[in-house]
Amino acid sequence: MSDHKQPDLARREFLGRGAAAAGVALAPGVMLYGVADAKPADEPVSSKVRWGMLVDTSKCSSGCNACVDACNKEHGLGNETHSRDTQRTQYIRKVELRHKFTGATHSLPVMCQHCETPPCVDVCPTGASFKRADGIVLVDRHICIGCRYCMMACPYKARSFVHEALTEQRPHTPRGKGCVESCTMCVHRVDEGRQPACVEACAADGSHAIIFGDLNDPNSEIAQRVKTYASSEIRADLGLNTGVRYQGL
Amino acid sequence: MKRLLQLLSMAVLALTLSAPALAGEGGRTPLPSIPAAKGDQCVEDTAVMRRDHMKFLKHHRDATMHQGIRTEKYSLKACLECHAPVEGNMAAGGKEAEGHFCVNCHVYAGVTLDCFECHATKPETTAQFHPLVSPASAALKATDRTDSTVLLNRLVGVSENKAGVAHE
Repeated sequence: MSDHKQPDLARREFLGRGAAAAGVALAPGVMLYGVADAKPADEPVSSKVRWGMLVDTSKCSSGCNACVDACNKEHGLGNETHSRDTQRTQYIRKVELRHKFTGATHSLPVMCQHCETPPCVDVCPTGASFKRADGIVLVDRHICIGCRYCMMACPYKARSFVHEALTEQRPHTPRGKGCVESCTMCVHRVDEGRQPACVEACAADGSHAIIFGDLNDPNSEIAQRVKTYASSEIRADLGLNTGVRYQGL
Repeated sequence: MKRLLQLLSMAVLALTLSAPALAGEGGRTPLPSIPAAKGDQCVEDTAVMRRDHMKFLKHHRDATMHQGIRTEKYSLKACLECHAPVEGNMAAGGKEAEGHFCVNCHVYAGVTLDCFECHATKPETTAQFHPLVSPASAALKATDRTDSTVLLNRLVGVSENKAGVAHE
């Protein structure tokens, strides 16, 4: 490979199409290929896998919005024209915390926490809110009636409601008026063996504050990290066993 | 009465689709304009697709949504790959709403089509690849895609027409 300074683009394109997944640039010249991890397209997801994220709050800097921007871009969010700011969809948001006594501050991204026992699924009257076998909590918009019970039930304020007719959706993220939506953990990327957009953006930004992986696989980086270092859930008192965990809170 | 209307519209559709030569170009019978698709053969025979495409799509959508099965056959994305190309006359001419395969036929048959209230009306296949793999993806993102607004309006128009028919 070393004698090829410039990759053959035509060949790359061909290979990329064939594998339906391609590399992700972590840094110039550093590529992460997720093809090996991708499940075959015709295989259903399995409960042997539990996708999760670990956010290292010590690496997440206040004022950095890379994950939020990447998410909005990936899913084509923020194109509502009539909605107020408080109504606009957000899959992920930055939250600043300050301990009242010590004055210690934290900045952290908060998105759907992908609970093992999600309250949104409990309350959904139609079964639109559901948890996939691999732990990703989603809204099936084909059966969502827009009642918004799940928005009330979610302790993390992770869900949004689309108030107006939308156009210009991304093919992998269909969105429309009258449905509730939330972070999908970039399920379309995960199924291809790629990382969620926020994780990728955080790494590309040099922060490396969010890592993504299989919590059930003892050899994965995320499993190693949660085993080695103390990590916590937001509102751990609710006993939801979230897939998104925080380190350094 | 509703059933009769349904049957009638289906019969009209079948007739006009299967025998365009009967009415002929410039004939008195209005015909839907069916843009040519990419590729030679659909995933099933044309007759099967005409009758059952909605069943295939519905089955596949549930498998994809709930089980993460992302095979291309029967996926809406794959339909649009061939029937609503990103590049080519449809996109270049900015006549997406007039030239949209799905919408044209549904408008003609008077059958409401809900897919595109949420789903993208055009494929964006190259965007999922890294720019290194597909240098064209960056250019694609920059292209004007406001045509889908026209399309949405047209779809809304369809449902209004339908309501009007029901009153008669």
